[in-house]
Amino acid sequence: MNLKADYDEIARCNRCGFCQAACPVFRATGSEAGVARGRIALLRALIEERIAWDAGLEGPLFDCLLCGACTAACFPAVPTAELLIRARSAYLTRVGRKAAHRLLFDRLLPDPRRLQRAARAAAIGKRTGLSRLAAALGLLRAFGRNLARAEEILPALPRRAFREEVAPGVYAGAGRTGTVAYFVGCGVDLLHPGVGRASFALLRERRRRVLVLENNCCGLPAWSAGDLAAARRLAAANLTLLNDPSVEEIVTDCSSCASFLRSASRLFPPTDPRHGQARGVAAKILDLAPWMHAEGSTPAEDLRGRRITFHDPCHAARGLGVRREPRELLGRIPGAEFVELPEADACCGGAGSYALSHYDLAMRVLERKMENLKRTGADLLVTTCPACMIQLAHGVRRAGLAVEVRHLVQLTRPGSSG
Amino acid sequence: MRPPERPLPRPLLRELRRIVGAPFVAESAAFSELYAYDGSLSRGAPAAVVFPADARQTAAVVRTAVRAEVPFVPRGFGTNLSGGTVLSEGGLVVCLSRLNRILAVSIPNRCAVVQPGVTNQELQQALAPRGFFYAPDPASQKVATLGGNVGENSGGPRCVKYGVTVHHVLGLEIVTAEGELRRLGGVAPDPPGPDLRGLLIGSEGTLAVVTEITVRILPRPEAVRTWLAVYDSVEAAAQTVAEIIAAGIVPAALEMMDAPVMRAVEESRPCGFPRDAAAVLLIEIEGSAIGLDRQAGRIREICRRRGVREIREARNEEERARLWEGRRGAFGAVARLAPNYLVNDCTVPRTRLPEALRRVEEIARAHDILCGNVFHAGDGNLHPLLLFDSRRPDQLERVHRAGEAILQACVELGGTISGEHGIGLEKRQAMRLVFTEEELALQRDLKGAFDPAGCLNPGKLFPPPQEAAGLKRPADALSSAEEALVRRVRQAFAAGERLRIRGADSLGIRGAEEPDERPVLATEALTAVVELDPENQFFTAGAGLSLSRAQEALAACNQWLPLRPPPLPGRRTLGGIAATAAAGPERTAYGSPRELLLGLGFVDGRGRLLRAGGRVVKNVAGYDLTRLLVGSAGSLALITRLTFRTATRPERCAALVIDGDLAALSRLAGRVLAAPLEAVIAAAAHAPEAGFRLWLGFEGLAETVARGIEEAARWAREEALVRFAASDYDLLAGPFPRLYEEIAARPGLLRIGVPPEQASAAARSVLDGFPTAPLWVDFAGGRIAAGLETLEPGVWRKLRGEISARGGHLLLEKAPASFLPPDGRAFPEMAEDPLFMRLRAAFDPRGIFAAHPPQTACDP
Repeated sequence: MNLKADYDEIARCNRCGFCQAACPVFRATGSEAGVARGRIALLRALIEERIAWDAGLEGPLFDCLLCGACTAACFPAVPTAELLIRARSAYLTRVGRKAAHRLLFDRLLPDPRRLQRAARAAAIGKRTGLSRLAAALGLLRAFGRNLARAEEILPALPRRAFREEVAPGVYAGAGRTGTVAYFVGCGVDLLHPGVGRASFALLRERRRRVLVLENNCCGLPAWSAGDLAAARRLAAANLTLLNDPSVEEIVTDCSSCASFLRSASRLFPPTDPRHGQARGVAAKILDLAPWMHAEGSTPAEDLRGRRITFHDPCHAARGLGVRREPRELLGRIPGAEFVELPEADACCGGAGSYALSHYDLAMRVLERKMENLKRTGADLLVTTCPACMIQLAHGVRRAGLAVEVRHLVQLTRPGSSG
Repeated sequence: MRPPERPLPRPLLRELRRIVGAPFVAESAAFSELYAYDGSLSRGAPAAVVFPADARQTAAVVRTAVRAEVPFVPRGFGTNLSGGTVLSEGGLVVCLSRLNRILAVSIPNRCAVVQPGVTNQELQQALAPRGFFYAPDPASQKVATLGGNVGENSGGPRCVKYGVTVHHVLGLEIVTAEGELRRLGGVAPDPPGPDLRGLLIGSEGTLAVVTEITVRILPRPEAVRTWLAVYDSVEAAAQTVAEIIAAGIVPAALEMMDAPVMRAVEESRPCGFPRDAAAVLLIEIEGSAIGLDRQAGRIREICRRRGVREIREARNEEERARLWEGRRGAFGAVARLAPNYLVNDCTVPRTRLPEALRRVEEIARAHDILCGNVFHAGDGNLHPLLLFDSRRPDQLERVHRAGEAILQACVELGGTISGEHGIGLEKRQAMRLVFTEEELALQRDLKGAFDPAGCLNPGKLFPPPQEAAGLKRPADALSSAEEALVRRVRQAFAAGERLRIRGADSLGIRGAEEPDERPVLATEALTAVVELDPENQFFTAGAGLSLSRAQEALAACNQWLPLRPPPLPGRRTLGGIAATAAAGPERTAYGSPRELLLGLGFVDGRGRLLRAGGRVVKNVAGYDLTRLLVGSAGSLALITRLTFRTATRPERCAALVIDGDLAALSRLAGRVLAAPLEAVIAAAAHAPEAGFRLWLGFEGLAETVARGIEEAARWAREEALVRFAASDYDLLAGPFPRLYEEIAARPGLLRIGVPPEQASAAARSVLDGFPTAPLWVDFAGGRIAAGLETLEPGVWRKLRGEISARGGHLLLEKAPASFLPPDGRAFPEMAEDPLFMRLRAAFDPRGIFAAHPPQTACDP
């Protein structure tokens, strides 16, 4: 790829520095290497050939959470996350791609069954202390040098993935009309099958037919890593599955997947027929929170006396513009009090697999989130992204808080925790 | 990757890593690139970046760098707009972003203590829930660190009402070039001696590194109202600004934006600015709700008279926040119009704004540069944004030339070259527009006094001396009295003779009857009123002019100098007031001479007549010698003329006068001061036999004063203080003229400064030693003035011990020779302080003004 094509976007940064106040990484480090202004300065220096591509760029290019808070604070709206993805891609070509990335993006993520087997092995490894086995299988190794401590983030992996319990296929629902396709993200499938069960139950309650998709990874992790070819392959494979005229709506309970699927057309050049297909599919993609809001879902569980707060996943708030709907749903819960979390839309530091590859930094970002959480006095923290759930639950454990972390959909059905 | 310029010696890097820890020394081509820029157009790459964790580490880093003779620049988040925070010739960046803690917030002392890496906004956010705020609010406050605010003496929209950073910083902890930690000023106000704190503020990291800052905080005003006034002509908007100020209204903010800037903002984020207007004014007033209506009516009337198209009032906090968000984001937003901008931060007297804007437009057109304006109109502080693309070298060249032309035009209109962004690298040549070679030489010598090795942010502020520049400031016209003084000092300099400076009031801190053989250098002939400009609210006069004469001249145009220094305000001379930094109990509300002075003329020890500061409030060109000389008591230079900021005379002055015991009165005063009642005076007077009596003074619009008295009375009742009455008082004499006369009748005048929460305890200490002394104790500032009959060494030592144990200081502003305590010296720590002695040598190399060692009847 050619960074020069982005020169005009890059030149629009006039170094006002407002991104510093917005950037969770900069707030934790105070270093210019960890903020949009600095990263853009390096891209400009690369274009103007003041510096060369080398391993010294790995930190500045890969330490970004891609949370998008900088662009939201930027008056000329320089799209730093987009620019960084392209720069990461160039880095992989020019400096090198890690073996672990190849294993993860080329072998595991494109194949849900193989991924489930790897996860099961990892789960056994964790449960029996045989984490070396899991490491040998390479799933967690993909996440780099901080692995030993990062493993603490995942307390216990479930033995069975969601789609091992509920096989992909068509299910009859209680609703009178409509066919809804349920896109199962890797996080829900492998790490939070309970969320999957709750979503599945809700969808069946409201639609005549529910199609549990045998989709693979949406491609976001590969895209974030700058592995655009892998992301394109994953998106293309999903596209053949999703581009089905009989499906009216495609719902996912992972805001990150929803946001990425919505914008998947950018992975294909406009001349590619898949570009148009991806746009057509994007119009049917729905995040579960607004879907629930439109459906008028009310919580089934008794939450009287609870104090509830909400964390905005980056991909929900800035990716999809979903902010109002989950709050309104939570505000309606009888007998419970909703309190706004200060800096609710600041990244929690989970950022997909970021916490696994950048443990120390992610924990410093998380600390601020936990400080804000303490201020709310809430005992129930709700969000809509499984990666955020993992990170937030880890933060709550580390800080010793008596706060339960749940997905929004888990408040709608009893017995859906886990 | 290519190695960074001038790699550092390995042992130095090893030592730095030992001090701060290996992860906190960054040395790579990427880091050299990342710290090669700031918010300006300048570049300068460091060889390494060091991130100390605290003051102690910072001191060790400074010591190590200076010992290795490696230049360095201290910096926060690097948003400087004049190239002040990039290196001029390689070296180290000392990044203070890890010093990011708010150390204390004290409501009783109305101050906060912060580390330099805390942003202005973080401090505001910490204060807001407690009902307080910090007044300076640079537009970039989200990311501007307080250390940077101190380095640049930052302003901001609210400064039109509250003043700039130097008016709100009480104390600093600094690291000197020797690598030593040292404190300047503190919670106790107005320490005796030259104001090094004032000199440091705005010195752009060239004199020392600031590691801790104590700032004054203010109660949030009760009400705020905000308007957007929309104009079809820039000229009409500019005229409105001048007229609002001339009408004696003090808005909390008075900002202007023109069409290109509004377009850029609205394209970025719809904030509610019109896209089809030539200019808008963002006008905000704040204070007690009752006083705002009449001001609002007058503002609307002035806008209408100047042909405003539409005036829109923000209906709620959200609308107001949106307007401000657009204003504060304007610099970033102009990237919608062009990738880069050069911002020309210059100040003119407000009445010259229409002309200044016309000149800016002509200059931009002549250089074929797109120009947008967004600026602090109420201060006359312009920010023309010259827009271009730095990838086009021809544009860059034209922009620089246009920038210089704009600075020259502003100086010609009576303004200066930088209101708040600093000189840095980008305005060095323009320093010659406002300073003569002699003035620059003195400032260079001051730099040398602080930083003999020249390691602290070198290459900044000063134009290279060898360059013969075309830019030059014309010489001032001298009065014959000034000429005579200059001749006398030159003669003394040639002969090595020592002189004693004496004001006409004979009230120098040395005391009138002190035996002193030295010939007198008297200022009594310097009584000229040089310039009086009520519309722009400044006043220049000779040092020998008495305050009462000055007030007479000002009263003729409804202005006054808000100063009532004891013992008898009217009799004191302007020079004497400045030399002692004297002020009455209204000091916290209106400011001391340090806050009110805009500029000085002075004769240094070589007999050079020099100038410091200027005629505008916002002026950060060069070192702040005005602040430094205030309080220096004739130990550095002879002050010949002074330019003060003036204020519109209040409609009414009245006080609630309450009798009671000191503890109860102090409690009531504390409550009033923490509330947005706008009390100007909260001081208790003590007269022998009468006991204590609290004066809560209100000055301003009649309705605000009445409301203040009413509220204060209600609170007094709540505190079970029932013996009170309201009474009006004379503006110039102040609320307790009889007490002033009692104080004046005593041969000695004692002045004490303590942290405000210690004020009543300090007053008790004074009364223990001097039971019959007439005195007032100012709860707002933590200050005491007392008239003394006699002074016994034992009593003095005991009092001094008690006051310093309370974190305070004391000074005899007036004393006869008989008072001289055996160990009494003026600024004893200074005679032994190599820094002060080097500083003095810069002003007065032959010690003409020095009493050797400086000794008088006072002592901190």
